[in-house]
Amino acid sequence: MKPQSPADHTILTKIVSLSTLLVTVMLWSTVSTATPLKHLVAPDSAADCYECHKKATPKIAEDWYQSKHGVQLMKCFVCHGQPDGKGSVPWAVVPSPKAVCQKCHDPAMQRMQQKYGLELDCYTCHPFHQNSLHHDAYKKSASKVK
Amino acid sequence: MKLTRREMLKCAAASSAIMALNGSLPMLKDAMAAEAAEPDKWVKSVCRFCGTGCGVMVGVKRGKVVTVKGDPNNHNQGFLCLKGALMPPIVYAKERVTKPYIRKNGQLQVASWDEAMDLVVSKFKTALKDHGPTSIAYYGSGQALTEETYLASKMWKAGFGSNNVEGNPRLCMASAVGGYVTSFGKDEPCGCYDDIDAATCFFIIGSNMSECHPILFKRVAARKQADPNVKIIVVDPRRTNTARIADEHVSFVPGTDLAILNAMAYVIIQEELDNPRFYNKYVNFMTNDKKKVDFDAYVTFLEDYTPEKVEKLSGVPADQIRKIAILFSESSGTMSLWTMGLNQRIRGVWANNLVTNLHLLTGQLGKPGATNFSLTGQPNACGGVRDTGGLCHLLPAGRLIKKPEHRAQLEKQWGLEPGTIAPKPGLHTIALWNAFSEGKVKAMFVLCTNPAHSLPNVNMYTEGMERKDNFMVLSEPFMDAETVKYCDVLLPPAFWCEKRGVYGCTERRYSLLMQSVEPMGECRSDVDILLDFGRRMGIDPKVIPFENVDDIWNEWREVSSLTPYNFMGITRARLEKESGIRWPCPTEDHPGTKRRYVRGEDPNIPKDYKNKYKFYGTKDNKARLWMRPYAPAAEEPDQEYPMVLTTGRVIDHWHTGTMTMKVPELRRSFPKAYVEVNVDDARQLGIKNGDNVELVTRRDKMVFQAKVSDVCRPGLVFVPWYDKNLMINKLTLNAFDKGSKQPEYKICAVRIAKV
Ligand code: SF4
Repeated sequence: MKPQSPADHTILTKIVSLSTLLVTVMLWSTVSTATPLKHLVAPDSAADCYECHKKATPKIAEDWYQSKHGVQLMKCFVCHGQPDGKGSVPWAVVPSPKAVCQKCHDPAMQRMQQKYGLELDCYTCHPFHQNSLHHDAYKKSASKVK
Repeated sequence: MKLTRREMLKCAAASSAIMALNGSLPMLKDAMAAEAAEPDKWVKSVCRFCGTGCGVMVGVKRGKVVTVKGDPNNHNQGFLCLKGALMPPIVYAKERVTKPYIRKNGQLQVASWDEAMDLVVSKFKTALKDHGPTSIAYYGSGQALTEETYLASKMWKAGFGSNNVEGNPRLCMASAVGGYVTSFGKDEPCGCYDDIDAATCFFIIGSNMSECHPILFKRVAARKQADPNVKIIVVDPRRTNTARIADEHVSFVPGTDLAILNAMAYVIIQEELDNPRFYNKYVNFMTNDKKKVDFDAYVTFLEDYTPEKVEKLSGVPADQIRKIAILFSESSGTMSLWTMGLNQRIRGVWANNLVTNLHLLTGQLGKPGATNFSLTGQPNACGGVRDTGGLCHLLPAGRLIKKPEHRAQLEKQWGLEPGTIAPKPGLHTIALWNAFSEGKVKAMFVLCTNPAHSLPNVNMYTEGMERKDNFMVLSEPFMDAETVKYCDVLLPPAFWCEKRGVYGCTERRYSLLMQSVEPMGECRSDVDILLDFGRRMGIDPKVIPFENVDDIWNEWREVSSLTPYNFMGITRARLEKESGIRWPCPTEDHPGTKRRYVRGEDPNIPKDYKNKYKFYGTKDNKARLWMRPYAPAAEEPDQEYPMVLTTGRVIDHWHTGTMTMKVPELRRSFPKAYVEVNVDDARQLGIKNGDNVELVTRRDKMVFQAKVSDVCRPGLVFVPWYDKNLMINKLTLNAFDKGSKQPEYKICAVRIAKV
């Protein structure tokens, strides 16, 4: 289907955007359940996530690479665990703030709790992988411009 | 693509509905999982890995370590790097040694503590009786607690009359010690981590701090983020992740950094960016053969190091040398940071001096942000070994064995007969392992380190360890550590959070590791093991008047009190309350010292002292600027071995991997060592990413998978050293610095080919 007019184009973009989000959410919810997803990576290099995700999910990989976590090499597995669930960190697309974020961000979490009351998670205000550090990328930090 | 707020809300509602339909409720599940692991208590400790020495809170539930988080009150302000955040599984690794073992017919067999200790004692007694005190040795670690090293060193030097006390810090920090001692008369850095927050220029040389000291790198990066005008210079023949935040990455022919540093000094003087007010008052200019000369002699010496001459040698464009020299001296506060790239060299002490020279020449010292700061590799190399004198030429708190007045002072403080301490220094690490390999040292106590993996040119030493006429007792928490293969008795030590004691990190900060959980199985703390050994050996009870680990700490405080180290104010009670205190700290109400040699900060300098700075480690209170020439590496590339091999760490693994390999995430991140090859070299040699490549040196050869990238400069290959199945130390060189006795791990000649 070809967009007929700019207005159509906008509507189409919105539909695509919404459906992409829905699919992503569905995928997340599936992944977050106890049954692990089939994962393509060979077990003995299962934690070198970035190498494959550069190709598989380039946007997410690039966001991480440019983020503070990327610059400081806080790699995927520190927060997300291992896709086969055999790691020491629980495998989750959405890491549990209590089990994961707290290891480094406890002081900030406590501050936020005092300031805004108990939040369900950290991500409402701090979008994934977007807290950038690197030079002017910092200025683009979504958590800062929101 | 942009969604309106309304659309976002719709979307969120839809996703909740999907989750509910799926019955997965992931957040709730995660919350429940987190709840299940919610600790009963948090116990204060320190990270087990690098010399950054981050404070850690250990989460304990029903007597087991379940998680960790950063200590918000220590210097790391609650942050941990990926290794620190993943420590808990190590404690419960299936490879933990939980019983003593004795080797019988070539096999390690379970024994009782009494059987094991009786055998150890009989071997040490026989060696002492038949061959005297020089035939026994202690080989310790920058990972042992301060109390453990202090105790072992005292037992050997004052109890057995043997100065053969060494440890792995000789392999990592000895050149930094040599550098500080020759430049200032005293070991240990002048500045502290706070300087990172004030510096406006960072000069990072011979350090991949992003992977080896990640939390300090984070602090440097945060400084750059806060003020984009902060300049970062990274001098490294590899373009590592550290160089990602650099304004200038200076890649050079390995080994020529000595010349680059002299060329920087040349430019600083030529551009009139030197600081005569500082060096005329506080600095002596010294020739390489220890003669005092004037500034003009230094200028003449530097004529060999014009940027153009050094460009030819080092491959660094003259303009870049000029640029970094100007950045270094024009900044309001320059902080140099370095580690093994300078230390693990046959000119390691010289390289350290040459960095310090730049600070002395420009006066970039003793002000917030201006300091020459050596990064240490292990969590307690500074606090455990350097400060307490756990090396063959040292006595506690910066005293030297060869000085009669230092021996006498110690003998008096320890309440021992004059002449108890032998006047001759013992054997340094390489000489000691040579002697063990030759059967001259008969009995060796190895504690908390893995020499069969970490020594350079290691085949030489493992052959020696296999001899039948020498004896090695090893205290090692993990059964799969390489050295276990060679020991005669294996003792099970309590690991990290299973014991109590102190770690002192890079910035002279001492923090207490409180005991979080009970030791596993029959494990005992190394203090218990050493005291038991000493008593069974019939050591003079005056040497070990200790009931527990806290008694040892208190004696160490007393022993330090007559020296500029002065730990008197760092009491156990304070350590329990505070998260780290920096020495010197003479009284209980003293906050600790950020910057040494500075009036008003360093308690060793009277408040009314006439000058701002006092380098009290030397007789005339002046620091020394050394004219160290460029000299080549011990083994330069040639026709037969045309490339340079260098070794180091990756962020995921630490030292010999005995701990990090127990964490599934870390193991699988880098399951195997590899060789990093430059793209141009790879093209010429027909090597593709993932190909098997054989590395051949004059010592040995080994096959690694290639990682082709532009990290190494052409002509250089890099192999990480953590992998026990691919031990690169079989190929490295055991030539060492004449001053510091530290081996040159960082440079040797290699030939590579696709296989
Ligand atoms: S930076 Fe070093 S001390 Fe700090 S958490 Fe990481 S490994 Fe541990």
